[in-house]
Amino acid sequence: MIGLKSTLNVIDNSGALLIECVNVLKNKVNNGWGSVGDEIVCVVKRARAVSAAQQASANAVKVRRGDVRRAVIVRTAKAVRRPDGRMIRFDDNAAVLLNNKREMLGTRIGGVVSADLRMKGWGKIVSLAPKVTFSVTSVRFYLLIGTQYRSCKIFPTFLCAHTLSGPP
Amino acid sequence: MSTAAASATPYPFSKIAFVRPASTIDQPILESLQKGKGLMPYLQSALVPSEKQQWIQTLFSKRHPDRLQPGSVVTVTTAHAPNTFSGVVLSIRRRGPDTSFVVRNVVQRTGVEMQFFVNSPHLTNIKVVKKPGDGGGRAGRRTRRAKLFYLRHSPEKMTAIAGGIKA
Repeated sequence: MIGLKSTLNVIDNSGALLIECVNVLKNKVNNGWGSVGDEIVCVVKRARAVSAAQQASANAVKVRRGDVRRAVIVRTAKAVRRPDGRMIRFDDNAAVLLNNKREMLGTRIGGVVSADLRMKGWGKIVSLAPKVTFSVTSVRFYLLIGTQYRSCKIFPTFLCAHTLSGPP
Repeated sequence: MSTAAASATPYPFSKIAFVRPASTIDQPILESLQKGKGLMPYLQSALVPSEKQQWIQTLFSKRHPDRLQPGSVVTVTTAHAPNTFSGVVLSIRRRGPDTSFVVRNVVQRTGVEMQFFVNSPHLTNIKVVKKPGDGGGRAGRRTRRAKLFYLRHSPEKMTAIAGGIKA
């Protein structure tokens, strides 16, 4: 649940350490919450010191304090629900910086990322991460009891292996 | 889903479609179920395969000596996911078919908590690696709380309990 003024740790080697969210890009409005796999616009609040030699080098993709960049959320402290009902939450909020074309700025990721990223289309980041918690294959579920829809206080996935209909 | 497809007769005019197999439920029970009578008790007993029901019953009972207790170290195996997840059981939420428990572990310096729902067909195994109170001395007693959320803020107590179990 990342919104305006939420701070996130940066876990790639782009040079930033702490970023503050300014806008969540999946919503048309400015207020709203971002979760794992959502792109946000952020301001770099703290960054690693860039030495003069690094500044002059050609590979200077390092960001500085005060930069406005885009990022994708990879971990949230708010629990995220998987399709089969599992919930997963981390101890902190974390993100990976991106450029305007949805490509990563850094080259390496240091830390765990949530596997929900792959479901939202960030497979490149998931492949770079040293540890991904729980990959999930797609889960199809349907609810069929007799000829009528019955709403029960049970997760739909529990009924996917069981039909109560009569002979065809 | 897949079990229905495996035992079904193929449809002669399409490779994808299949004719659903005849129901294995007795006709009078089926009729009342289709009207909605006794639906929830039937589902509670019939949805979960009986071998799994056995160990779920012992693990999540209230008084069985081998039940799952908060503070035990546990390895959870799930289908549909290549990994297993180990960690300390923080809380057990007993709600009949909605029973769930939360397992916490520290993975690469980040705490990760996962909440597993017991009756999910994806959950295949729960193995108790360490019962609470297995450490020596002061740690050799069961936890005095039902919900161990205080462990989120004290990594020393986490290591005292979990002592180097890999994720």
